[in-house]
Amino acid sequence: MHRLLTCFWILAGVKVPRNFRLLEELEEGQKGVGDGTVSWGLEDDEDMTLTRWTGMIIGPARTNYENRIYSLKVECGPKYPEVPPTVRFVTKISMNGINNSNGMVDARSIPILAKWQNSYSIKVVLQELRRLLMSKENMKLPQPPEGQTYSN
Amino acid sequence: MAENSGTDPAVETNTEENAAASATIIKVTVKTPKDKEEIAIAEDSSVAQFKEEISKRFKANQDQLVLIFAGKILKDGDTLGQHGIKDGLTVHLVIKTAQKTSGGGSSQTSASSGPGPSQGNTDGSANSSPAGNLGTPQGSGPSPTPTQPPNMLAGFGDLSGLANLGMGSANFMELQQQMQRQLMSNPEMLSQIMENPLVQSMMSNPDLMRQMIVANPQMQQLMERNPEISHMLNNPELMRQTMELARNPAMMQEMMRNQDRALSNLESIPGGYNALRRMYTDIQEPMFSAAREQFGNNPFSPSRTENREPLPNPWGPPDTAATTTSGTATTTSSTTSSTTPSVSNPLGISSSSLGNGMFNSPGMQSLMQQISENPQLMQNMLSAPYMRTMMQSLAQNPDIASQVARPSFPKMLQMFAGGNASTPTPEVRFQQQLEQLSAMGFINREANLQALIATGGDINAAIERLLGSQPS
Repeated sequence: MHRLLTCFWILAGVKVPRNFRLLEELEEGQKGVGDGTVSWGLEDDEDMTLTRWTGMIIGPARTNYENRIYSLKVECGPKYPEVPPTVRFVTKISMNGINNSNGMVDARSIPILAKWQNSYSIKVVLQELRRLLMSKENMKLPQPPEGQTYSN
Repeated sequence: MAENSGTDPAVETNTEENAAASATIIKVTVKTPKDKEEIAIAEDSSVAQFKEEISKRFKANQDQLVLIFAGKILKDGDTLGQHGIKDGLTVHLVIKTAQKTSGGGSSQTSASSGPGPSQGNTDGSANSSPAGNLGTPQGSGPSPTPTQPPNMLAGFGDLSGLANLGMGSANFMELQQQMQRQLMSNPEMLSQIMENPLVQSMMSNPDLMRQMIVANPQMQQLMERNPEISHMLNNPELMRQTMELARNPAMMQEMMRNQDRALSNLESIPGGYNALRRMYTDIQEPMFSAAREQFGNNPFSPSRTENREPLPNPWGPPDTAATTTSGTATTTSSTTSSTTPSVSNPLGISSSSLGNGMFNSPGMQSLMQQISENPQLMQNMLSAPYMRTMMQSLAQNPDIASQVARPSFPKMLQMFAGGNASTPTPEVRFQQQLEQLSAMGFINREANLQALIATGGDINAAIERLLGSQPS
């Protein structure tokens, strides 16, 4: 019997590390660690599964993204952090690796998503995307007018 | 450039601010890539009011301010509370300048860490059509403003526990990997998890735990096939007891070992063995494989090295033990397991009986035996929080208590009492008897106490003892 119940706890235990991680990330998001150029938090504060997150990236200076604030949706599935989250831009953006019609981030084109490690986090993803905005191949891309979002 | 490009500095909402003055003041850090300020603001302020303060502090036009918190843009009409902004948290600020002008300000976002354009002007050169792109987030509606800060956030008070664990993300991941690999091969890991304050706070919420367990797809399958499991999961008392148990790995191992030992007794019972085997295959196997999938390990390998037999069924122990249990029928706080195993109910559970049902398992009884022989073990057991729960129920249900270990009850009680400060000491318990004894002329309190303990409070027996041992 004890084993049976301990089984329960094992199974629960799988949840626990994932949730630890996500709660940690939530706290970080609220405390604003980092340099303030990205921000993230739960999309719905009541989401006990800690699955849906919103993120924000502030466009870097001296690029065509300057002055803009990009909103994203990040989804951390049950296997996170063993598998990367799915990321989608809500604000329209022209950037390599981002699907033009729906804002989905193509995991294969974004290095940290393609070579995901479980030590990465939502913060890292956002920071990396921002870094990519400064890359030569992206920084001069003509951008849609500000304020547009993908309809989906 | 003019500081205010045509728009009146936001003095509009001035009056409101005074109204809100009565609320608690919180200190919120406002951070830009270059700058950081702590701003005191009333807890129930609106975002607009907050911005007003910010515009003063950062010397920027209120309309240029874009506030971001936890990935969402704060709209003027929202309140801080709506977004869960509390004392000590950080809000990000973007001061919008004209397109492409060297952003300004004590903080234009531009610089991530790299190129730090040291923009000069402290006043955003405003002109950038204020109402247009500022404030109201580029339509990029991050989700609609969230609801009130929920229970979950309240639970985050415990997050500080996480910080205390000293787990930076990197370390944490290592730990997590370790956990996943070794968790069950090393039950102490389990106890470590259990000791984590965050886990404890999560676990003190049986609903949350249940949700988590239930969310696991394998569990769901298992639950579909075996409704008893969902019954068990739905019993918060049960969950809590198990949580306690899980916290003490030594105790768990002990119990498991005893189950193994007790199992041999069960083999001889007609029908019982089959029932057990059925239970095993129906329930334990899938659970184990589900668990194994996660951890790649038989979780119980250390304590059941060569035991491949089905495990005993403590809830509805077959015939022999069943006679003792069904006899009890103490239905005080929880019913004892009077249900015997059957095909449809292989666990023989009446789930609420789990706590007390455990006492009635043969394993438990032999454990009790062992314990009475080994006081040290007793001490160990007593230190587990689990034990306190057990003893409380023992105290409340003397029937069960006698059931538990009829032969060695007095001895056990003595040890319980001796080992655990939270139950009344023998002195307290035998207060009355002690007084009686001393009134009778037995003035050696020490000896009286011993005698009372030995006889379990029975005055007459104690007197005999005393007379027998006292040199008269």
